[in-house]
Amino acid sequence: MNTHVALFIPCLVDQFLPDIGTDTARLLRRLGVSVSYDPRQTCCGQPMINAGRTDKARTLAQRFIDIFYDASKDSAVVAPSGSCVYTVTRHYPELLEGEYKKKALELAGRVYELSDYLVNVLGVTDTGSGFTGSVAYHHSCHIVRGLGIMAEPIALMDAVPGAQMLFLPDMDVCCGFGGEFSANYPEISGAMVEDKVNKAVATGAEYLVLAEPGCILNIRGYVEKQGLPLKVLHLAQVLATESGTMGKEAAS
Amino acid sequence: MKIETERFVEKAKEGLANESQREVLSRLPVLFKGLRDYAMSTLPDARAALDTGAAIRTNAIARMPELLAQFEENITKNGVTVLWAEDYDDAKEIVLKLAKERGVNMITKGKSMLTEEMGLNAELIASGIDTFETDLGEFIVQQAKRTPFHIVGPAVNITTDEIADLFVKVMGVERTMDLNELTMQARDFLRHKFLSAQMGITGVNMAVAETGTIVLVENEGNIRYSTSAPKTHVAVMGIEKVVPTMNDALHMLRLLTRSCTGQAISSYISLINGPKRPDDIDGPEEVFLVIVDGGRSKIYADPEFREVLQCIKCGSCLNSCPVWTKVGGYAYGWVYSGPIGAVLNPLLVGEDRAKDLYFATSLCGTCKSVCPAGIDHPKLLLKHRERRAFGDKTFGGKKPPLTERLIMSIWSWGLKGNGRYRLGSRLFRLAIKPFVSNGKLTRLPEPGRGFTEVRDLPEPPSKTFRDHWRDAVERKTDGEERSTT
Ligand code: SF4
Repeated sequence: MNTHVALFIPCLVDQFLPDIGTDTARLLRRLGVSVSYDPRQTCCGQPMINAGRTDKARTLAQRFIDIFYDASKDSAVVAPSGSCVYTVTRHYPELLEGEYKKKALELAGRVYELSDYLVNVLGVTDTGSGFTGSVAYHHSCHIVRGLGIMAEPIALMDAVPGAQMLFLPDMDVCCGFGGEFSANYPEISGAMVEDKVNKAVATGAEYLVLAEPGCILNIRGYVEKQGLPLKVLHLAQVLATESGTMGKEAAS
Repeated sequence: MKIETERFVEKAKEGLANESQREVLSRLPVLFKGLRDYAMSTLPDARAALDTGAAIRTNAIARMPELLAQFEENITKNGVTVLWAEDYDDAKEIVLKLAKERGVNMITKGKSMLTEEMGLNAELIASGIDTFETDLGEFIVQQAKRTPFHIVGPAVNITTDEIADLFVKVMGVERTMDLNELTMQARDFLRHKFLSAQMGITGVNMAVAETGTIVLVENEGNIRYSTSAPKTHVAVMGIEKVVPTMNDALHMLRLLTRSCTGQAISSYISLINGPKRPDDIDGPEEVFLVIVDGGRSKIYADPEFREVLQCIKCGSCLNSCPVWTKVGGYAYGWVYSGPIGAVLNPLLVGEDRAKDLYFATSLCGTCKSVCPAGIDHPKLLLKHRERRAFGDKTFGGKKPPLTERLIMSIWSWGLKGNGRYRLGSRLFRLAIKPFVSNGKLTRLPEPGRGFTEVRDLPEPPSKTFRDHWRDAVERKTDGEERSTT
């Protein structure tokens, strides 16, 4: 298969959770996709949009288009984050005007959230993952409601032979991250993540799996502060797990 | 109603600390959202029904001036006197004048959020007119001297215990914890008021332009009573309530009752065309309709916020909101709470006064997904933030403080080039070094303080993704293995 992907690695992943990026690259390669990464990329501007600073976001949007537009003409741009994909595909066209707007609209058609890309473009559900363990899956807001992607990550998880899927009640209710919201309103955001984690723990699952880096920082951070046994993983980490390596990579 | 939107954070904390309230709130999504979801599933195509609702309301608001004129003409033909009020004070004056001219000393009221906005009850009572809310929840709220907690269930947070005590105090009845008994006590008390009131005041759920009809939706019969027992019925409506046709109104009704209480239809729906006709057996002798602007035309004039007027006050965005169901309704500090409060209150009380309402949200979008009126709350919340960032004056906004703007400028500057970004990333790692213990950040100072209050943050690894990538590429070109993690 001669398929190419330009990786879009959100700044949060680059800075705090690089494993999610390397696992995404590894997974795509294993599925026969050639992968490139342009190190000029920084941040899509989502925090600026959330702060109302559309002026700053606009500059970053133009920069993003300059980096990705030509490079992805014959390929797809894939990110292990729904909210950053949402920023590029939904916010950019509204933020920009003229030539950039046209490019943004065109680019929006080839920027994919990871699970969307795997299932709907590659046509893959069985990724050959060697992951084993009991899993609860959480649907992050921008993936499930923003992009309308719900069946894809579940199909991918279902196809992992070693994963035992457990039902998480209210699996599509927000975990309380919301970027600066989590720092500015810790009491409210804390009550939300507490709820989410309590429900996940109550399923008895060893792992909580989700596909949004921000939510991972939030949920994993809460779990660790509370010293709970739940392990929080990105979908890419689960899918990238090679047979026989379980416990060494995914759980790190 | 007194505006306390500035106290959001403080009141939210109060709400979070109130255990009985938390207990009630934890059940609401299961109950109300569950009922709503089930009721929506009884429609052949729920998504299409919601989209149709959105289209009807978008059309209605786009054509609002023209539809209001048509509505006024038709309802006037039906024998209703229409009175226009520019603001709350105008509206209160009109109602008060109508009451005084008729020597009214007792009024029964149907639940109306607009009259809450206006603070009508306080005004009437201050003028010596006994005014009784007759919706059970609203009656409890009025007697307890509280404010509505929820736009549909104003007293959902008040416990049976509190209500039992309240009824003893207000009505001198025997204390009971039996829910049916309590309802009967209120019913008995209010029945006498209905019979002696000379005026009934209600809100309006929808105003049908084509037929000149007022639509009123309820479950208790108290609105029906208020509009038929007293001689005079005064309905008060905001200019946004108009819809073009009866067909439109009926579709919105399907969505309204389902979204509100999970009912396919509510127990009572009143379609009021005008006063009692000679051969009618009952009904009011005269009907007045006060149409209030109250800040709405200003919202209408703003293309970015106009869509807020599409709201039909069904309350379903509250029931499914993960923030509202934690902090409760009082936190929002004014008539409207939850997602609709967060987008509407700032436009009515001022952007600056209501800043926390549009910042204290994770933008999860559940509100948008359940709204039967096509409101895109997350988009509007971001619009509010944007207006504030640039100091838009239309709705009372100042620019944010210099420090905030500086941080944003430096941050954005640092993201505009790969070199700066890498430098920033190194500086960041140095700056947080003192706060690292055991590979974690457990207590950061501002602006990260709030985050680490609840969560630990991993220490940013020494190698970023781009470092790993560069190493891998170099490894390939050099043809030798270099250590990567
Ligand atoms: S915004 Fe939508 S969901 Fe919320 S109260 Fe209004 S109509 Fe209902």
